[in-house]
Amino acid sequence: MSGVVIHVPQGYGEVAGEPSGDAVTLRLGPGEVARFGRGSATTPVELRLDDEAISRLAGEIRVTDDHWQLSNLSTTQSYLVENPEGAGEYLRVPPRRAGAPIPFEFSRVVLPTRRNTTVAFQVFAPDHVYLDPDGMGGQWGSRTVTAYSLDETALYFLILVALCEPRLRDESPVAVPTTPQIVERLKGHPACARLTARAVSSHIDYLADEKMRISAPAESGPRREARRNGKREAIVGLVLRFGLVREEHLALLPPRTGGAAQERGTAG
Amino acid sequence: MHRPADTSGSDRTELLPPGYRVSRWEVTESIGAGGWATVHAGRLVEGDADEQEAVALKVLPTAGLAPRQARKVAETARREVEFGRRSSHPRLIRLLDTVVLSEPDHPFLDGAIVLVMERAERSLRDLLDAGVSEAEGARLVTEICEGLAHLHRSGWVHGDLKPDNILLMADGSVKLSDFGLVTELTGTHGTHGYAPPMGTFDYLPPERWKAPLGEQGVEVRPSADIWALGITIHELFASGASPFPGATPMARGAATQEYADGRAPLRLDGAVPPFWRALTADCLAPTHAARAEHTAESLLARIAERPPTETDAPAPSGRPGVRRLGRRRAAFVTLAVCAVGATIWPHVEGGTASGATAAEPPGRIRVFNADQGCRGRTDKDPQCSLGLAIDPMRPYTVDNVVPTRVWHGDELAVDCWLAAGMQIIDEADTHSAEWYRVRLPRDSGRPTAWLPAVRTKDRPAVPDCPAPTPAR
Repeated sequence: MSGVVIHVPQGYGEVAGEPSGDAVTLRLGPGEVARFGRGSATTPVELRLDDEAISRLAGEIRVTDDHWQLSNLSTTQSYLVENPEGAGEYLRVPPRRAGAPIPFEFSRVVLPTRRNTTVAFQVFAPDHVYLDPDGMGGQWGSRTVTAYSLDETALYFLILVALCEPRLRDESPVAVPTTPQIVERLKGHPACARLTARAVSSHIDYLADEKMRISAPAESGPRREARRNGKREAIVGLVLRFGLVREEHLALLPPRTGGAAQERGTAG
Repeated sequence: MHRPADTSGSDRTELLPPGYRVSRWEVTESIGAGGWATVHAGRLVEGDADEQEAVALKVLPTAGLAPRQARKVAETARREVEFGRRSSHPRLIRLLDTVVLSEPDHPFLDGAIVLVMERAERSLRDLLDAGVSEAEGARLVTEICEGLAHLHRSGWVHGDLKPDNILLMADGSVKLSDFGLVTELTGTHGTHGYAPPMGTFDYLPPERWKAPLGEQGVEVRPSADIWALGITIHELFASGASPFPGATPMARGAATQEYADGRAPLRLDGAVPPFWRALTADCLAPTHAARAEHTAESLLARIAERPPTETDAPAPSGRPGVRRLGRRRAAFVTLAVCAVGATIWPHVEGGTASGATAAEPPGRIRVFNADQGCRGRTDKDPQCSLGLAIDPMRPYTVDNVVPTRVWHGDELAVDCWLAAGMQIIDEADTHSAEWYRVRLPRDSGRPTAWLPAVRTKDRPAVPDCPAPTPAR
């Protein structure tokens, strides 16, 4: 249980009294709390959301077990917690609700403003546990399980399967698909119609950093792209080695179309 | 295109029927299903008289699995077999043979790997609900430690120690089993090895929750087994209760993390007898570094040298259900009001007592915290704070302390000394009925409060206090 990650996108970003327009990322361990709101000298908040319609102390996020709880400290406003991957799945957290448990791995917390716009930030809960598919019954609590568990219905898993596809089909022992190739490969999937290259990259980063905690050598500057590739290769190597992605998962991908893939398929 | 069937159904838990023949053994009954295998009881039907008759047959099916899943099962079996071939010790379950089933007509069984092992009577898990006496618990822990010490000495980490994998033979002796995650220590100094990213949540050390996944798996060190041992000892003496609160393994995992990050203290169950409580706390040291000094060997030595009274006596603290407040730090034990005695103390300046709260104090003392863990800290952790009494003649309880807290190393201005207040015993068992009246900061609401003399090593020459007026 490593906790949750809160990400306030660029624009609202002001954290712990330090003004900056940059995006803010905050990590909370189990039991830790972060307050959010407009903040002031007397009501300090860890996540500052700079909008006049938002209370000075608008709410609180508390990490509990493998999930988190949202307290709505506003007396008038309801907040929404959306599951960006849930096809419209959301929760409404009414005013003064204390400690509403949030079941999503990915959440977007939306606060209303006066200008027909909203202020939103994201909360990721990478600790959600999934039982192994090859479990043999018995009490699951004392069972030996894979300690790195993935949601096989999540978008990141689809991207992971796409990353692993060439190796699973024994087409190419070396090449791992590039981001544009993944966007292209998943285009036909109903959940990926509007998938951008940027989203693919951030899903891969999430997998590497939060889910698998891959130890990759840190490099910067011109080597950055190479490091990205190294990360992809590391992910693919690990998930195949430890059986987190298997042949049966190829069925999740949309059917392959286009001459290039076919040719490669027959040639390989 | 061939797609494997959904393997989550009950078909995979299908058991070998009684009478089924596996090489020289025959299945007698099913024992149970674990995470990746089913276990059956078997008996020898063809062999020498000196061979063990009763065996356990652990079946790892590979059919119906995708090739890579099958590889995972094979890897598990390979670890067990390789380990079994190279290790033999009275405290480890012995692997007698391995058989690969060939059953073309039974796709589920075809290709399954069967490990033929010594048969145990039951597991330690079966013993937990009933609880054990301290003497019996001591024997069990000793034997578990013997097994672990042998493993670690031979350069292996068990990797999945838990009551389910600690087996009890018909004669009651302990043997460790389930070597599917056993890891050989590598590296230049043999300090760590790499294991598949698997484990049992309740027994994973806190560092594992944040461990990075490398090419070879996750780093595993013997201290991981020591942590699991600590959880197991606690469960043994506390009727199966984990030392970490929570209804689910995830909740307990989160509590483990809070403890390791220093946000929550370790609260061991009051049913764990004192000697074992201390031992458990050491096994559950929050970091690898702090745990590393406690090895299976050193624990064995400690158990061997423990005071005999604790095993002989029925140990009142061993009663299950008696919970003690877990506030180890900053907790005083108040015994009784001491008899009022004559005050004999060297007066330095006889007449200053009346005007003592003003101007320069007659003396200064430095606060001393008997809890060693608190002495090195400077972060003013509330866990390490000490209280000051309002009335030194009344029991030292929550409603008799001022809001102002003090920490180890704080310097306080002292007005005077009281010889016979409430008797105080500190964590190091130092008794004293002496108190110092100390001055509080200007905005504390009260001008003075009382510090028990056990809370300082200084003995300043200050005047006697006038008999304190009851605070209420």
